[in-house]
Amino acid sequence: MGVAVEVKTIAPPRLHLVFAGLGLAFLLIFSWVLFHEGTAEWRTTQARFRRLETTVKNPHQLAQSVSVAGLRQIWLPDLGRVDRCGTCHLGIDDPAFTGAPRPFAAHPGTWLSTHPTDRFGCTACHDGQGQATDYANAAHQPQPFVSRPMRPLETIEANCGACHRALDPPDAPRLAEGRRLIIEWGCFSCHDIPGFEGLTFRGPALDSIGYKVRPGWLSVWLGDPKSYLPQSRMGKFRLSPDEIANLQGFLLSQRAQAPLDNTGVDWKKADTANGRALFGELRCVSCHAVNGRGGTMGPELTRIGDKVRRPWLFSYLKDPHRVQPDTPMLRYRLTDDQLRDLTAFLYEEYSSAGAGPEPTPATYQDARLLAAGHAVFERRGCASCHQLAGTKDTGRIGPSLAGIADRDPDELPYGSNIVRHTTDNYIFLKVLLPDTLGQPSSMPTYGFTPADAAKIALALASIRKTDLPASYVLRRPAPVPYRPGGKFGELVTRYRCLSCHSVGGFGGDLSTVPLDRIGSQLQHDYVAKYLLNPGAVRVSVEARMPVFHMLPEEATSIADYFSTVFLDDSIEQYDTNFTAAETRRGEELYGQLGCEACHQLGTKGGYVGPELSASGARLKAGWIAAWLSTPQRYKPDTLQPDYGLSSTDVRALTAYLSSLGRRDAAKARGGDAR
Amino acid sequence: MSQTLWNRTLTWSGAVRRSVSRVGWPATDKDRAAAMISSLFLHIHPARVSRHVLKPAYTCALGLIAGVLFVVLSVTGLALMLYYVPYPPEAYRSMKDLQFVVTFGIVLRNMHRWSAHAMVMVVFLHMCRVFWTGSYKPPREFNWVVGVLLLLLTLGLSFTGYLLPWDQLAFWAITVGTNIAAYAPVVGDQVKFLLLGGHVIGPMTLLRFYVLHCVMLPLAMLLLISLHVWRVRKDGLSGAEVHAPAAEEVAGVFPPSTKTYGLMALSKRPRTSVEARDPNDDVFAWPQLLYRELLVALAVSVALHVVSLVFMAPLEEMADPTRTPNPAKAPWYFLGLQELVHYSALVGGVIVPTLLVLALLVVPYFDRGKAGAGQWFAPERRVANAVFTTLAVIFAGLTIIGTLFRGPNWAWVWPWK
Repeated sequence: MGVAVEVKTIAPPRLHLVFAGLGLAFLLIFSWVLFHEGTAEWRTTQARFRRLETTVKNPHQLAQSVSVAGLRQIWLPDLGRVDRCGTCHLGIDDPAFTGAPRPFAAHPGTWLSTHPTDRFGCTACHDGQGQATDYANAAHQPQPFVSRPMRPLETIEANCGACHRALDPPDAPRLAEGRRLIIEWGCFSCHDIPGFEGLTFRGPALDSIGYKVRPGWLSVWLGDPKSYLPQSRMGKFRLSPDEIANLQGFLLSQRAQAPLDNTGVDWKKADTANGRALFGELRCVSCHAVNGRGGTMGPELTRIGDKVRRPWLFSYLKDPHRVQPDTPMLRYRLTDDQLRDLTAFLYEEYSSAGAGPEPTPATYQDARLLAAGHAVFERRGCASCHQLAGTKDTGRIGPSLAGIADRDPDELPYGSNIVRHTTDNYIFLKVLLPDTLGQPSSMPTYGFTPADAAKIALALASIRKTDLPASYVLRRPAPVPYRPGGKFGELVTRYRCLSCHSVGGFGGDLSTVPLDRIGSQLQHDYVAKYLLNPGAVRVSVEARMPVFHMLPEEATSIADYFSTVFLDDSIEQYDTNFTAAETRRGEELYGQLGCEACHQLGTKGGYVGPELSASGARLKAGWIAAWLSTPQRYKPDTLQPDYGLSSTDVRALTAYLSSLGRRDAAKARGGDAR
Repeated sequence: MSQTLWNRTLTWSGAVRRSVSRVGWPATDKDRAAAMISSLFLHIHPARVSRHVLKPAYTCALGLIAGVLFVVLSVTGLALMLYYVPYPPEAYRSMKDLQFVVTFGIVLRNMHRWSAHAMVMVVFLHMCRVFWTGSYKPPREFNWVVGVLLLLLTLGLSFTGYLLPWDQLAFWAITVGTNIAAYAPVVGDQVKFLLLGGHVIGPMTLLRFYVLHCVMLPLAMLLLISLHVWRVRKDGLSGAEVHAPAAEEVAGVFPPSTKTYGLMALSKRPRTSVEARDPNDDVFAWPQLLYRELLVALAVSVALHVVSLVFMAPLEEMADPTRTPNPAKAPWYFLGLQELVHYSALVGGVIVPTLLVLALLVVPYFDRGKAGAGQWFAPERRVANAVFTTLAVIFAGLTIIGTLFRGPNWAWVWPWK
């Protein structure tokens, strides 16, 4: 074999060098792959956890603890989720790791016992990418292509709302507050909002507004309602002066129904001092604020004299239901003189000096102006909140908010606001400053505080596009409307009992007393007397029952109805034949349990609970016993402690309390009438 | 005793080895030739090759790299199939599982993804190389046609694979891609319906693309690759002839042949007679060719590993038919067409691609002169090369514009802004 041939059959040394280099590179890179896998973040994290475990637990606990090595996941097929958070959050359900450094710390609070991980996983509440096994990809911070990164704790209640559909979800104060604000501000008048179906929000009917308001006030109001009434639920519509003029003319020409006749009223005889006394007696401030203090159910009255015309006010006070059939305001039984005094008082006390004399109602004849005003009325969706006969039903003027939480943040406008482009931020801005998003918006500016806007945004952020499985959803209990008929029904309607009290969850919540079992709680005669001249049962509660100027037979009818219908049979069947020994034992117990710390008895005692001086004449014994046994059953948020009393002790206390304020009982105790 | 046992073990293991491979580690040229010829896998090489075609500067190893990538894609693809469920939304979840749970899963997926992109690029460059060296000249016209079909298959494999992750990127790229197909006159809608298994992309589409991607197209690819390589083996690599000295020159050195070779008479392989070639031009495939092939394969796999560890394969949100990204882009190799579609759907979607493919298929039958074959940018082929290069640059330019310079609403954007 020749030398030349030999040279050709073996590879040149240069290639060997290349081979050596490439071979080495391959070995290195392959070791890198192995290293890469072997030092995956979750593996090193678990190694750290094992080291921490030896310092946190004692040897006995260590021997019992399950060794952690390998991926851990919770698979929730119903929710379509796989959560591997437990791979690193290894101490999450172990109290031994309370206060341990992240990610090993135990979950704070009792959340994991109310929301077990094997049913809810982690991302159902927290969001983030549950499938991931490293910090970045789990989207603890916003990540590209993860549509729901972990929610910060400030807004996490939005996720509570995905399952908890009640309007006042438990343990989610910001969400509850947000939903309350949505109801209070009637967002659902203009928007279809899932979860708020069946709720209504009504501004005043405008059919006769031409008789009601002063023209000057109306134009100021249309320009900016807050300038008259800072708490106004009506937003600022950002109308041009022309639009305001047109709308003003259109509205002032609405005179469907003249006010009740007041020609017989001699305004010169008006006694404003009597009006002031009535104002207090009728408890107007329970619903209406003056100078910033008072209830919020009705409009603030501080400058009512600048707003309405006197004949209208007189007429309204006489029969509010005639003008506004769905108003929560009750119809007092007042004489024309009383009405005159009250009207005069309101009109003089609550008007600013510059209001000027009352102009006579002008007639607007300019058809073009009326048409232009009508057009503004329809375009801006005034009819969404205000009733006005003869206008087209525009329905809900705003877009539906179904699935708003899952809107694509990249497709939403943010205007010149410098915020991170997230759906949450968009909703927040839209609620707070609807006109700054770079798109023409019909939505009025409500002037929410940023804190309130954030709460509303949070409540809206729980409205997702796809619904959860029914087994996860706690639906809003549908209130069953309570509409009694007959004489009682008439009285309930006239005195608007359900503006403050509720029956079967339907009605207002201004009063702390639902009427469902009121007949078993209160004695018939007490009710009949109380309605004629309601006093304060709870000294500390500011909103009080008004003096209706009810007729005695009306009060008796109501008491009759209460004691035949609003009963709880389990309370009714209580043996009321108490012995003197029981009564004495009850008196001892009253002292031992420290009842007087909260309750007033005679001249002694606290102001937190109702006063008990006449409880024997007021309450039914069965109710006293039932209440003392399980107060939280009847009122979950009551301050009354559940002492866990035995039935004998309950009976003794009941005997004692039933004896208070009763002449016959006092005699039994030896003439000691307190 | 121990010596005997050792010898017997050696004898036994030698017998086992011979049963597997009839030729041992070749020590002589005869053995080297025998090693190549007697192995099923090595037999796709000739026993001896011209040393001129071994030069990296001639072939750039592009065909070989494409072959290596096909092997890598097959292996990683089979591994991925163990984890993949071709049904939404599990398809998307299996991507997440590969990334977060499966050992080496993310490396596998990255490698498959980047190899697929690289293969499209390499096959395209391979075609350019073949054109620029005039290697499709007779008798290799048909192998060029097979090559064009392989290019189309590569695109088809890449395109069908693009949908499988079932993320937004996949969904909308395939939507755009199949919409381009629908521009074809008369049959366009039917083709789209056939591809998608419906009018819109859905679970049926995913299943169809999965079967195409994992079974039909790879089988077709394997068949055509075999044919392609077989033809190369039979026709020899181009370029060798150029360096073959003229018969007359050699004639003086080597005596004219009087031998006849029965089988070679059947072979249509064009060459000067065996004896007429300078023996110094030929080297044994073992080890000269195999060694270089090994080095290229090694280099490719090192590069793939590095890329797969450093760059993550893209994965966006799960496919959502109600959320159209802006812009929605086809896979990058179709963005040249999409750019044209932006100007005219008929031109970009139908006329240009049809004409391009037809032109590629028929070019060896029109450009028949043998002059300039086997060398880069032969002066004799100035016109052909100029036309081809212009078209290739325009197409590449359009692709780059569509990929980097087009933003929302297909408006012009600067990629660095």
